[in-house]
Amino acid sequence: MKRRSIIAATAVGAISALLISACSSSSSSSGSSTTPTTGAVAFNAGISNVVNPSSTKGGTLTFDVRGTPDSFDPGNTYYAWVLDFDHLFTMPLFGYKSCPGSCGEQLVPDLATSMGTTSDNGLTYTVNIQPDVKFENGTVVTSQDVKYAIERTYDRSVMANGPTYYQALLTDPTYPGPYKDRSKNLMGLTAIDTPNATTLVFHLQSAFPDLPYVLAFPNTAPVLPSADTGSNYQLHPLSTGPYMFKSYALNKQLVMVDNPNWNPATDPNAKQLATQIIVNMNVNQADIDNNLIAGNADIDAYGAGVGPAAQARILGSSSLKADADNPINGFGRFVYINTKVAPLTNLHCREAVEFAANKTTMQTAWGGPVAGGEIASTIDPPNIVGYKSFDYYNALSQPAGDITAAKQQLALCGQPNGFTTNMAYRSDNPQETAEATALQASLGAVGIKLTLKGFPSGPYYTNFAGDPAYVHAHDIGLAGGGWGADWPDGYGFLDELLNGNAIAATGNTNISEINDPVINNLFAQSSKVSGATRTAIWSQIDEAAMKDAVILPAVYQKVLLYRNPAVTNVYVQSYYGMYNYAVMGVSS
Amino acid sequence: MIYFIIRRLIMTVFLLLLVSLITFAIFFLVPRLAGQTTYQLAAQYVGRNPIPSEIKAVEVKLGLNAPLYLQYGRYIKGIVAGIHYNNGPDVSYCPFPCFGYSFRNQQPVWPQLISDAPVTLSIAAGAAVLWLIGGVSIGVLSALRRGSFFDRLSMGVALAGVSLPVFFTGLIALELFSYKWPIFPNVHYVGITTDPLLWARNLVLPWITLAFLYAALYARLTRAGMLETMGEDYIRTARAKGLAERKVVVKHGLRAALTPIVTIFGLDLGLLLGGAILTETTFSFPGLGQFTILAIQNQDLPEIMGVVMIASFFVVIANMIVDILYAVVDPRVRF
Amino acid sequence: MAVPIDVATGPGGPEPDVPLSVPGKAIEGRSLWQIAWMRLRRDKVAMGGGVVVVFLILVAIVGPHFVQNPDTYHSNLINPTFLRPNGAFGGISLAHPLGVEPETGRDLLARIVVGAQYSLLIAFLSTVLAVALGTFFGIIAGFVGGWVDSLIARSMDVFLAFPLLVFALALAGVIPSSAFGLSGNSLRIAVLIFVIGFFNWPYMGRIIRGQTLSLREREFVDAARSLGARTPYILFRELLPNLVAPILVYATLLIPTNILFEAALDYLGVGLYVPTPTWGQMLSSAVTNGYYYIDPEYMLVPGLTIFITVLAFNLFGDGLRDALDPRTR
Repeated sequence: MKRRSIIAATAVGAISALLISACSSSSSSSGSSTTPTTGAVAFNAGISNVVNPSSTKGGTLTFDVRGTPDSFDPGNTYYAWVLDFDHLFTMPLFGYKSCPGSCGEQLVPDLATSMGTTSDNGLTYTVNIQPDVKFENGTVVTSQDVKYAIERTYDRSVMANGPTYYQALLTDPTYPGPYKDRSKNLMGLTAIDTPNATTLVFHLQSAFPDLPYVLAFPNTAPVLPSADTGSNYQLHPLSTGPYMFKSYALNKQLVMVDNPNWNPATDPNAKQLATQIIVNMNVNQADIDNNLIAGNADIDAYGAGVGPAAQARILGSSSLKADADNPINGFGRFVYINTKVAPLTNLHCREAVEFAANKTTMQTAWGGPVAGGEIASTIDPPNIVGYKSFDYYNALSQPAGDITAAKQQLALCGQPNGFTTNMAYRSDNPQETAEATALQASLGAVGIKLTLKGFPSGPYYTNFAGDPAYVHAHDIGLAGGGWGADWPDGYGFLDELLNGNAIAATGNTNISEINDPVINNLFAQSSKVSGATRTAIWSQIDEAAMKDAVILPAVYQKVLLYRNPAVTNVYVQSYYGMYNYAVMGVSS
Repeated sequence: MIYFIIRRLIMTVFLLLLVSLITFAIFFLVPRLAGQTTYQLAAQYVGRNPIPSEIKAVEVKLGLNAPLYLQYGRYIKGIVAGIHYNNGPDVSYCPFPCFGYSFRNQQPVWPQLISDAPVTLSIAAGAAVLWLIGGVSIGVLSALRRGSFFDRLSMGVALAGVSLPVFFTGLIALELFSYKWPIFPNVHYVGITTDPLLWARNLVLPWITLAFLYAALYARLTRAGMLETMGEDYIRTARAKGLAERKVVVKHGLRAALTPIVTIFGLDLGLLLGGAILTETTFSFPGLGQFTILAIQNQDLPEIMGVVMIASFFVVIANMIVDILYAVVDPRVRF
Repeated sequence: MAVPIDVATGPGGPEPDVPLSVPGKAIEGRSLWQIAWMRLRRDKVAMGGGVVVVFLILVAIVGPHFVQNPDTYHSNLINPTFLRPNGAFGGISLAHPLGVEPETGRDLLARIVVGAQYSLLIAFLSTVLAVALGTFFGIIAGFVGGWVDSLIARSMDVFLAFPLLVFALALAGVIPSSAFGLSGNSLRIAVLIFVIGFFNWPYMGRIIRGQTLSLREREFVDAARSLGARTPYILFRELLPNLVAPILVYATLLIPTNILFEAALDYLGVGLYVPTPTWGQMLSSAVTNGYYYIDPEYMLVPGLTIFITVLAFNLFGDGLRDALDPRTR
């Protein structure tokens, strides 16, 4: 009995010694980055070149992903990785050209034959589809299938997740969806006409030059009405892409095989190289990283990069680093400053927050300069058309925070000793949690006391931070947030964040509740102009909003992606900020 | 014996109903007591930018506006007889036993539970067998070699096992035996019907992790019980009669010492699922544990209810089996 | 975790194995407690555990005043690319005797000490709740018998049927961030104490019920009744003192279980809110973020702390049980 504790202690000591030797990473210095050439495998090669180009067929491509997709029903999804992944089994009207670098920012026709034509002062938009595209069961795709696909997204009680642009843009906003309105052979939406099997005519409420971007979402991929099983369609959507569903254990594993009815001539932006695709869902991030490095899995489909431990391993080893890419992923991470919650109603109190925040610790929270991103001083990230660099709050010159200026602003707003307020953040997002904690610590240095309130991400926008009534009732002055543009121009990035008309009673994304007539006007104007005039508007809006201190930018997010050397045709698709899944193959 | 089983089955049904009632009350009532309206509840399941009419439609579809007892009644009816559900283009029928539809992805909960359950059962049952056999044998050996180095060492390790959090042990095991020395590379779940050998091989680490925790307790328990019974007079008599030592130990000594072990096993079954959840999370196994955590993150009440019900069902059934074993082991117990 | 149920109690235990007479001194009878204490004192391992327990309690109470602020960031101590602390062994230095956290640079010693406060507080209070409920219902069930006993025993069955962790997880996840007049961390602490304590009471309840069942047949109960004592008197003045021994033992053994339980809830994400340090949450962060790989110290410090705490309680509880019942030596 007396020797027990000694034995136990020795055992523990042995285990710890073992662990320390097992886990200490080699401290080899990172190799210098070489200039990437096409095909060569090197760090960041995948950003501007195709790594491992090949047209060899065969093999199984394995994706691991954390969590689950919101839905594999193309009409019911909004997750970034699923939008990318859907191109393996869908052909929406438009898509982004499959090529690396800025080439991949171009919008090109996918199911459509051309970019379409506007007429009638922009109120009508006509587009034709290719006549010989087939579903996986051999049925030819008609324009009615595309119309039906768009119609079903109107019924939000069945299709709850996807984007909601059609109701706002097209002329028949109260259409209840084909499940409730069975008239006209399920073609009840008056906003879209289908004069023949290959033509679609859209009727808009007012001119909207970005309409083709809206039509690039997978919800325009055709759906055969007779095959539509509503909430069950996600289990086996009828494919028009290179692969089709073979088996899907919901939220666990998806197996896809080649679609024999896919014609590569109709779909140059996708390839059919692997013979089988497997997606393992709900794998935890540390396991995904270990699987990737060990070669058990090929790609992390989620596309948000590796975890901190794998990051250190990859960056510390020159061989692993050559298999990694560090692109901007198009997301801006920031903190909303609410203009309706006292004392942040006063501009100077908001400016105090902007000055006092320690941007370096916030950047570290997101993963540091490599895997987190660059410190941001504007709302628009650099990859958005219309981006202009400016820095009103010394974020770039004094990234640890400008305490003097902050104290001055506090005095100006009548709170020289600081004030208290609450901050909302998503508690199941470890980086956002770390960002909130970092901000709390840095603001505390000037006397601004934050009480952190964590919420789960699911209802974050619907019930908590995005519910202005809740925000006011609970004094939530700051809220963590991030935004990835629905399409890469200023409208796609800024409208939902800063347009006064975007403030909603639930699901609000203009959490700062800024309602500036000047900014609203600029947005309205943007639909009426084009070209350089239009581009200039975005930076005007950005500057006006930042002068008003309604958002505290944190980082222009970058991610550290790892590619398994066995995967072919790997490159970063600029719009998604992650690898293009539709062109990959695998070499044995 | 038959009457005993029938009586217990009736009690089981009654018990499960009670559990379902309490669970339903807690999950559907507590948020209300805390001030959440059904409108807010429905808003969680409508995605981004919902408009009020959509939220109302979801309220109706999920039946959230009906009084609680009606919702409960519908739930029980679903389990017993199956219910209809508005699926979109048509109304679908969810057959018995219907545990409702996930609020989030509109899929029936029961098939998901069924496909996840074998994973959890594999981990739990395998670990249970391992710790019973391992714990009991080590306990017996320790008792027989009382005071020896083996005794001290095994009791020391047992104590360590009981004192370490299971996710800690699991992680160290994974790190050492799967990544550092690839003895068990690529640990992921493989169904027993797909490949029994691989199934077992990939489960060894989770089994050992979970069993390590409980084997400790059972080893100590067995040791204590054995020390007690081996000192009794009837053991001495048995030896004096010339019985083989092994028979003395197993048939006479161990049999008597097993009673408290069986009792504790029954009590531990409720905790077993908890241990399995932690193990599943550590090893990324797609079982009920992961399902629960996802359901809680998504605030998906029917899924949470479903998993609590199925877990309670297993605990109650397993307790019934344990009670039967109790009678087999201890002849003094009468029905 | 369940515990074995056989502990001998009550007066008239086995012979004390100490010399009964010292020349020149009057022979004094020794109470059970004195005997137990002497046995306990001789068990060095148990005493060691006890000392550690007392030390930990002291640290939890007084410690937070002596350590630095657990929430202060020290980003100068962190390598920004690798996010790990500069310096060996997780950044151990004179200013930070246990090193610092990766990514934030917060002092680990401070976080462990403040974490001790929360972990021990929750474990203790939930144990008190479980013991109070279990003893109360156990005594009544065991003594009164009949339908009261059946009712209480069946409700214990109901609670035992609940999958404990699943239920705790779900409940902690469902309760919103402000309710019943409390909010934030106070609410969470209350919920955790309630859940852990409330669902643990059947274990104590069953044990106490068993003990009561055997005690109520003893002569001193009959004697008290023949003197005209009423049931509440017998329950709380005669039986309860004799049950103190098993109550104490199982309470001491329940505390480490609850520490581990709370750590598990933290690991699964339903513990206290950031930036509150708790041991389970530190371990969870080390594990799920994979920090253990680049900075094993970050995992070992809370892991070993939990281990040592739980071990100490177990050793002490074991020693206490052995001291009160020498048959299991």
